[in-house]
Amino acid sequence: MTTFFQLIVVGISTGSVFAIVGMSLVLVYRATGIVNFAQGVFAVLAGLLTYSLGKHLPLPLAAVLATLVTAFVATLVALVAVGIRGRTTHLASLIITVGIAIFAEAVLLAAFGEVPRSYAAVSDRAWDIGGVLVLPQYAVLAVVALVAAIGLTLFLRHTIVGQALVASADSPRAAELIGLNLRSVALIAFAVAGALTAIGGVLLAPAMPVAYSSGLSITINGFAAAVFGGLASIRLALLGGYALGVVEQLVVGYIDPQYNLIIALVVMLVLIGWRSRGELAV
Amino acid sequence: MTLLDLDHVVVRYGQAVAVDGVSLSVGEGERVALIGPNGAGKTSLLNAVCGVVRPASGRVRIEGRDLTGATPAAVVRRGVSQVPEGRHVFATLPVEANLLLGAYGRVFSLEIVSSTLRYVRSRREVRERLDRVYELLPKLHELRARPAAHTSGGEQQMVAIGRALMADPRLLAIDELSLGLAPLLVQQLAEFLLRLNDEQGVAILLVDQSAALAFSLCERAYVLETGRVVLEGPSGDLARRTEVRSAYLGGPSGAPS
Repeated sequence: MTTFFQLIVVGISTGSVFAIVGMSLVLVYRATGIVNFAQGVFAVLAGLLTYSLGKHLPLPLAAVLATLVTAFVATLVALVAVGIRGRTTHLASLIITVGIAIFAEAVLLAAFGEVPRSYAAVSDRAWDIGGVLVLPQYAVLAVVALVAAIGLTLFLRHTIVGQALVASADSPRAAELIGLNLRSVALIAFAVAGALTAIGGVLLAPAMPVAYSSGLSITINGFAAAVFGGLASIRLALLGGYALGVVEQLVVGYIDPQYNLIIALVVMLVLIGWRSRGELAV
Repeated sequence: MTLLDLDHVVVRYGQAVAVDGVSLSVGEGERVALIGPNGAGKTSLLNAVCGVVRPASGRVRIEGRDLTGATPAAVVRRGVSQVPEGRHVFATLPVEANLLLGAYGRVFSLEIVSSTLRYVRSRREVRERLDRVYELLPKLHELRARPAAHTSGGEQQMVAIGRALMADPRLLAIDELSLGLAPLLVQQLAEFLLRLNDEQGVAILLVDQSAALAFSLCERAYVLETGRVVLEGPSGDLARRTEVRSAYLGGPSGAPS
C-alpha cells in the first residue's frame, strides 16, 4: 500500500509537468489555432540553460534568466510558425513547429551535449508521511501547476488581453477588422506559454534529469493532457496532466517502466477518437 | 471634405481582377449603398477600404489622408469600422467581451503593457460607449453575459454592429446586413441604422444583396458589376431605371414602390 501511495505522489508531481505543458499548448491553441509540437523543447531548453548558467550564477538567478531566454526563443518560434504577416494556415504552422522541434534537438545536442542534466532541488529535505516519501520539489511542482491553471483561467476569461487572444482564434477575420494584429497576438501567446513551460522544465530537471532529446516525450505527454479537455480547457488539461502522471507511474511501478510513453500515446489516441466521435454525433 | 474617397482602386488575387478601377466616395454622415451580383467585387472593395487586402493600384483616402495599404488597425483608428459578412462574432466569449474588444482593438499593439494601460485609462470613456451601445441595442444588455455562440443570427448581427460601434467610428461599413435574417429583423436593424445615422451622424456604407433594402436605407448607391461601377446616383433615380429593376428588384415592369 505504501508503494501505491508513493507512486501516486510521484505521479502527481510528474503529472504536474504534463499539466503545465498541456496548459501551455491550450493557451497557444486557443489564441492562434496552432498545435505547437515544439512546446516540450522549451522545457528542455530552460532546464539545460538553468544547469549551464547555474555553474556560474546562483541557481534561482539562473532559473529566472533561463525562463526569460526561453520565452524570447518562444517568440522567435512564433514568428517562424505564423509567418511575418501572421497569415500562415494553421496546418502549415503545425508542420513548421514539428520541423522546429526536430531542428531544436540537433541544436540542443550541439550546444549542451548528450548527458542528461540535473541540479539541486528547491530543498534537500524530504517529508516522510506514513512511509511515503514526499520531496518539497514534488509539492512545488503540484502547486505551480495549480496556480498556473487558476492564473491562466482568470487571464483568458477576465482580462481584456486574454479575451483578445481567445477572440483571435474564434474569428481571425473579425479580430483583424477590430484592429488586433494576429502576429502580435501569436507572439504574446507563444511568449506566455513559453515562459510557463520553461518554469515547468526548470522545476522538472531536479526531479528527473533532462536531455536534449526529452522534448518530444514532454510534448506528447503535455498534448495527451491537453487533449483531455479537447485542447480548449485549461482546467481539464490540469486534471488530465495529473491523471496521466498517476497512471504512468502505476504502470511503471507495477508493470514495466518502458511502457510510460506508450501509455501517453494510447491515452491520447483513445481520447482523440472518443472526442471526434462525439463531435461527429452533434 | 469627403469622409471616404476611393480613387481608381484595383484589387487583384494573382491573375484574377476582383475590383477593376473603382472610384467611390462617402461624405460625412452620408448613407451610401453598394449593390451588385455575387462576385462583383463588393467584399473585395470593402476589404481594400479596411486594410485587409492591399490594392494593386489606386488610392484609398479617409478624410483626405492616404491610407492605401494601411493595416486594418490604422483604418479602425481613423474611424472606419467594418461589420463583416457572416457576422463573425467571437463565439466562445460573452457578448459584453465581444463589445469591449471592439474598443480594445483600437489601441491594441505589441507593446501590450502600454496598450492595455491606454485601454484601462480610457475606461470611463469605454464604459460610456458601452452604455450608449446598450441604450441603442437594449437586447445586447439582456444578453451581455451569454457566450455569443448561444445567440440567434439576428442577435449576432447586433453584436457585430455593436462591436464595430465600440471603436467609435465615423463610417460603418456593413457587408451583407440582411443575409440569412428574417425580414422583420432586417427592418428593425435598418431602422436602428437610420437612427444611428440621424442621431450620431455615423456615415454608412452598406453592401447588400437586397437592392430594395439598400435603396430604401441609403441616399445614394453604386451598382458594381464584374469589378466596375456601371451605375451610380441617388437611390430613387436608380430604383426607377429599368435595367436596375429587372436585375435587382425582381421585375422589369410596374411602378416603383
